[in-house]
Amino acid sequence: MSGASMKQIKTRIKSVESTRQITKAMELVATSKLRRAKQRVENARPYHEVLLEAISGLQAGAAESPTVFAQAREVKKTCYVVIAGDRGLAGGYNANLFRMVRDMTQGEDYCVLPVGKKALEHFQRLGCEVVSTYFGVTGSVGIGDCTQMARLLCRLYAEEQFDRVVVAYTRFQSMLSQVPVSDALLPITLQQGETRYSGALVEGEAEELIAAIVPQYVSGVLFSALCEAEASEHGARRTAMNAANKNAGEIIDTLVLKYNRARQAVITQEITEIVSGAEAL
Amino acid sequence: MSSFPLRIVTPDGSLFDGQAEALRLRTSEGYVSLRAGHADYIAALDVGMVSLTRDGVTRNAACGGGFVSVEKGAVRLVATTFEYADDIDVERAELAKARAEERLAQAREDRDITLAKAKLSRALNRISVAKKQD
Repeated sequence: MSGASMKQIKTRIKSVESTRQITKAMELVATSKLRRAKQRVENARPYHEVLLEAISGLQAGAAESPTVFAQAREVKKTCYVVIAGDRGLAGGYNANLFRMVRDMTQGEDYCVLPVGKKALEHFQRLGCEVVSTYFGVTGSVGIGDCTQMARLLCRLYAEEQFDRVVVAYTRFQSMLSQVPVSDALLPITLQQGETRYSGALVEGEAEELIAAIVPQYVSGVLFSALCEAEASEHGARRTAMNAANKNAGEIIDTLVLKYNRARQAVITQEITEIVSGAEAL
Repeated sequence: MSSFPLRIVTPDGSLFDGQAEALRLRTSEGYVSLRAGHADYIAALDVGMVSLTRDGVTRNAACGGGFVSVEKGAVRLVATTFEYADDIDVERAELAKARAEERLAQAREDRDITLAKAKLSRALNRISVAKKQD
């Protein structure tokens, strides 16, 4: 009997070890990907800043000739752009984001533009109205896709398919903490009392200009959200895999102890049997 | 020649942050050249060449759209893509051009056609900027 249990323990140790090998590899991959993603976040930051500066000036200029993009209207329907990951095994990364979206959307008419395989699967399973399934893979989404997404959103917004656009993603705060957040995209909120651009020269028609610039603004915001989300995913996965490694180590330690005990018990039993057998002779 | 502060940013990072003497770019209405002391200004950019003059040396670059704003003499160029002529990968641009032409020939929907056309114009712009350099 003890022989059999020894064998069982041994197989378990082996299986836990091979799992640990996988989680270790995943941690290493996530670490190196995280480094690259962080670099991307940092690269995109000045773009975001300058874009915001320029757009806030434009908004003030546009206050005199309001456009659909700057005018808040009664919200009947909201479109959520949800940026999640393509893969699981990243701790609560996807689940936390979906929970936040669920809380936000309660009792509201809404549709979703999912980015990432997990987001797409999640909202299709829930039976939500999905605007586009085209952006199903986060890993391959670049600035070009952001532009496309922004154009799509702006077009549908102008057609009054929805009255508000919100982007939900996970902000990368540090290696250890990633927080799901949401930012309003459209309508653009006007900063009151600023008329910096009121006397600015505008090339062409002001409306055409805004029609050209607003999608770029939206795509810029989407892109930086995407960079943040990617970094967060790798960060979350790294933390999850780190914990998995530690747990695997603990399990192996206890199993080895158990195994040694079982082995010792077998030896002791054998000795007892031999001794009692010798006495019987 | 007097100079003005200029910032050029793309999603891939800040590409220029300093003083420049002239900036020639292609807006949706045509080419304009910005110099020091320009009035407040804002314009959307088309795919085209951007020429940047600094210390009397002019460098050309391929710009894939974006917009430019002048505020109190400071110029901000927010570009979707921006590559200096010597950084352009001509081979890749040629490949992109061939691919875009192929797609344009097959495209049926309006959306596909606009996409392919945009791709083609970007590729052609890169090639022409890079060739000008040689």
